[in-house]
Amino acid sequence: MVGQITYYIPYPICNRVVITATTSSGSPAKEIEMENSFLKILINPNAFFQDKINESESLKIPALIVLISAIISAATAYLMVTPSVKMMSSMVAGMDTIIVLAAIVATIVITFISWLVYAGVFYILSTMFKGKGTFNRTLEIVGYGFLPQILGGLITIVVALEYVPRVVVQSIPAGTTDSQVILDATTNLMHDPAMMVLTQTITLISIVFLLWSANIWIFGLQHSRLLSVRDAALCVGVPVVLYIIYTIYKLGAM
Amino acid sequence: MKNNQIFTITCIALLFCAVTGFADADLTQSLAPITGKVFVSSTTYYPEVFFTGDKGTVTFDVMNSNTNTSVMLNHGSFSDPDIRLLSNTYDFSNPLGPLQTRPFTFSIVADAPPGDYYPTFSLSFYDSNLYHKTLVQVDNTPLELTLLDKPDTFAQGNKKTIYMQVSNPRKNDVRNVVLVVSGNGTGATPSRSFVGDLAAGASVPVNFTVTPDQPTTAILIVNYDNGDNPHSVVMEIPITFGVDKTQANPVMSNVQVTSAAGIYHVTGDVNNAGLQTAYTMMVTSLPPAVPQDPYKNYVVGALKSDDFGSFEVTFSAGNATVVPIQLSFKDADGNVYTSVQEVKLSASSQNGSQANAGSNMLPVIIGIVIVILFVGGWILYVRRIKK
Repeated sequence: MVGQITYYIPYPICNRVVITATTSSGSPAKEIEMENSFLKILINPNAFFQDKINESESLKIPALIVLISAIISAATAYLMVTPSVKMMSSMVAGMDTIIVLAAIVATIVITFISWLVYAGVFYILSTMFKGKGTFNRTLEIVGYGFLPQILGGLITIVVALEYVPRVVVQSIPAGTTDSQVILDATTNLMHDPAMMVLTQTITLISIVFLLWSANIWIFGLQHSRLLSVRDAALCVGVPVVLYIIYTIYKLGAM
Repeated sequence: MKNNQIFTITCIALLFCAVTGFADADLTQSLAPITGKVFVSSTTYYPEVFFTGDKGTVTFDVMNSNTNTSVMLNHGSFSDPDIRLLSNTYDFSNPLGPLQTRPFTFSIVADAPPGDYYPTFSLSFYDSNLYHKTLVQVDNTPLELTLLDKPDTFAQGNKKTIYMQVSNPRKNDVRNVVLVVSGNGTGATPSRSFVGDLAAGASVPVNFTVTPDQPTTAILIVNYDNGDNPHSVVMEIPITFGVDKTQANPVMSNVQVTSAAGIYHVTGDVNNAGLQTAYTMMVTSLPPAVPQDPYKNYVVGALKSDDFGSFEVTFSAGNATVVPIQLSFKDADGNVYTSVQEVKLSASSQNGSQANAGSNMLPVIIGIVIVILFVGGWILYVRRIKK
């Protein structure tokens, strides 16, 4: 997966690369440039956005990054919903496919919504610090910030593939209408030892990669909204840290 | 002349006497060896030994051992004051050829009390009689039905085996021995056991199982024939319910209860404190507990006397503070026994919650550390830029 990403995503990151790629793609020089752009977002976002801010706004690449992130998240969601489908397979016969499809579509939609929400929150908060620049530019830099989510998603899939088969599923008998039985079965599933380890591990992975994204967003917001580093860090850090604290609280309450 | 006449008459008389005397002497000397060689070669009583009142037969085989002379047999009869004759005497004359044997059979009934009797068989020849006495015994000793082994107690619906033995203390064989088991609600299997012939002094084991529905009495009847006379022996075995002193007795120990999110996890040991082996020992929880995966039931397996095995069950119990844990096992006959022991959850669940909280604290701490590192790093970064 990483290889595919490094091949497709960095293409249009620099316009110069895109132009040359259409004429003679695959030369070693272009690949090195693509990898440099890719690495620059992850490792040195400040330098990347310094260059990027001088270019015209474009949401194509950020949207592609978010889409790939959404697809990987959907794959994780598919794995995570499998035990629930097994649990309800007897109770709601024939609904397996619908439940899985609903989970996949919902994950993709929610990923795009979260893109908009992050950008909206950062835009509003940066406005309080007298930030300048368009919402589209904010949306663009937030989209680039989703790049670590792809790496995090890939690691999450590996972890899910390891732990989901270990989850012991208690099937709900066919025709069960007692809500208490369904609630008990759901509670049992969520508190299955393997499921708990999986949930905790995925949560910690998502926290790490969300902070990585936040790191990118801070520099992106600094350049796109013409803020100081401190103000950009506050605009991004406060909501992100609050969200992470809420996530940790839920983790402790399991 | 007178003397001559007297002499002549005397001579004639002497001659006559001599002639007739010779004839008598010749006849006696020639027939006595013939009838002396006619005898009773064998006597057969059926049955060999009678019960008082038994009917039977006696057969006398009369043999003519002469090699070339037939003998005329007349009036064969059987007589005894205690052994009553049922059939008629042989009132006819028949020759018995040389080296031939003829049976004389009489139907009799032993009306006498137990003891030894000597009936007489008589047979008339044309010049003499044959008398023959034989021993016949009347013995009222019945077959012995012996209870070799049986369970101390029985339980409703549980199959138990009873071990019996049928012995023949009599001096003669008996026929058609059948053990019949009956009784209200005994559920005996087999209810009839055919033994067949039983020789004098012999014994044969007979086993059967009972599955009683209620406390009752098993009635055992041994039917048999002495000759053609049916006899029986009856024995009663009480079927009482209770606890077998030697049966397996599972006891739980080292019980530990933990809980995670409403799922209780009970571990412990099961010891067999009984004298018999407990087969297929299983442990499960009973209402109000609801068994949950992964250990809804736990099969410990066979536990010999004084042996033990570990178990592990999981269940949800709502707000219950005490949950019954059922131990079930089978005996060698496949009967299922259960015993229930209660486990308290209150104190254990608190420990479980603490353990659960502890297990959740590690990722929380890790998450907090990651956030602190991130925030701290940015604070340092911002300060460095300002400087």
